[in-house]
Amino acid sequence: MCEELAHELDVRGLPPPEPFELIIGALQTLPAGEFLHVRIHREPYPLYEVLRDGGYAWQTTELKDGSFFIRISYGQ
Amino acid sequence: MKTIPLNTQQAPPISVPLRFFTVAPLFLMLAALILLSGKYNPFANMHSPALLAATHCITLGFMAMVMLGAIQQIMPVVIVSPMPATRLTAWLAILPLIFGALLLAAGFMQGNPVLLDIAWPLLGLAFVTLIAASLISLARSPAHNATKTAILLSIITLGGAIALGMLLAHGYASGLLLPYDKLATAHINLSLGGWVLLLIIGVSYQVVPMFQLTPNYPEWLAAGLTPAIFFVLLLNLLSLLLEFRPNWLVIVVQGMFWFLASSFAAATLVLQSNRRRRIADPTLSFFRLGMVVLLCTAMLALATLFFPSNDRFVTLSAELFLLGFAMSLINGMLYKIVPFLVWFHLFRGGVKRAVPNMREIIPEHWMWLHLRLHRGTVLAAVFAPWWNVAVWFVSLGLLMQGMLLVYVLFTAISVYRRSLQRLEESSP
Repeated sequence: MCEELAHELDVRGLPPPEPFELIIGALQTLPAGEFLHVRIHREPYPLYEVLRDGGYAWQTTELKDGSFFIRISYGQ
Repeated sequence: MKTIPLNTQQAPPISVPLRFFTVAPLFLMLAALILLSGKYNPFANMHSPALLAATHCITLGFMAMVMLGAIQQIMPVVIVSPMPATRLTAWLAILPLIFGALLLAAGFMQGNPVLLDIAWPLLGLAFVTLIAASLISLARSPAHNATKTAILLSIITLGGAIALGMLLAHGYASGLLLPYDKLATAHINLSLGGWVLLLIIGVSYQVVPMFQLTPNYPEWLAAGLTPAIFFVLLLNLLSLLLEFRPNWLVIVVQGMFWFLASSFAAATLVLQSNRRRRIADPTLSFFRLGMVVLLCTAMLALATLFFPSNDRFVTLSAELFLLGFAMSLINGMLYKIVPFLVWFHLFRGGVKRAVPNMREIIPEHWMWLHLRLHRGTVLAAVFAPWWNVAVWFVSLGLLMQGMLLVYVLFTAISVYRRSLQRLEESSP
């Protein structure tokens, strides 16, 4: 099994709209075929709409400490 | 570089809420001038024309104006359902609200029945438009959350408050024989305890955890609080139908209401003390002031039930609720909503250099200055029913807050316009 190429982004504890700006900024430079791993303190519902419109795929996992881990890639 | 569009189709044009927000502070200034115009201390008598006129300038012209502007923005975000016919709804609400509030205040000041009889249908049109649009939006919403319930209950109580207000205004104008004291009590309970408190609670469920980085309100509290308050308000209305209300019933119903209102204040203060980032923030301070004043108002209101005294304590508890609680929260929310709106509408095309940081849209030192001015106004209001000089301080405070809000709102609008121009110039 090959390891996926992932970029890490931790936006826990940042006030809106900083998490949103940082995630969008990171996605704009994300090379095709690579992943963005995001740690965030709230589930970012408005982001999902933007990801859907932009053709991204994502998977959200709630962690034990109440924060969320989101794995985003373009079109996969 | 990929551009990721931010979907703003659900949101109303930025001009819709900003129109409401920029008109609102003018009514604060008008309220200040009205309070200064009387020969006597308007706070000494809760039925004085100047106090009635100024109160309605604040409740209709300032508070309802901001809350109605905000609700049009909040609906698509919080319950994923925009208002129908956004622009038409906004115009059908704002124009009659402006003229209705002005004529009502003039009608109270001059005791002029013609002005009152023109004012109440205009206000009715404004609120019926917004209530109908909100109910359509709520009916279409797929969301199921505590904020949606709170908004629905708040809108229902607004309908009752407006119907009673129209009846009272028409009754005064026509000299109808009506149970004015009971109708006025029901009108005040539904307006402040219903519409204002329920909407503030519903919006706080979203704004406090999201912007102040606190834990969420406990689920049982969020789900149960607004229906419980609504139930107590209904009980209170039913008790007013009795020819004679026994004192114990008034104490039980009022006691339940203030216990529930205090629970909200206490829960918010506890959440704020557990926030993730302990950085000074003017919005947080406005909210804290509001919650502390709500607790003080509850204690004062309960004390007046057990130790009936003169009307001035009743005036004081209404003043504290309006200026100290509701206005603090409205100011705090404005300082989050306006910069967020400007950022949101500029961000549409994705990250660009021309989009300012949210903190640059309204400089924070103006917010801190406003907080100090507001604290001073609330402090002066505590003494106003007994000390005539304090009325000058309250009026001056309201006047300066109105001027400051106009200035900061136009600052935000000019940042928006300049940034939009830069974005258009830089786009291919």
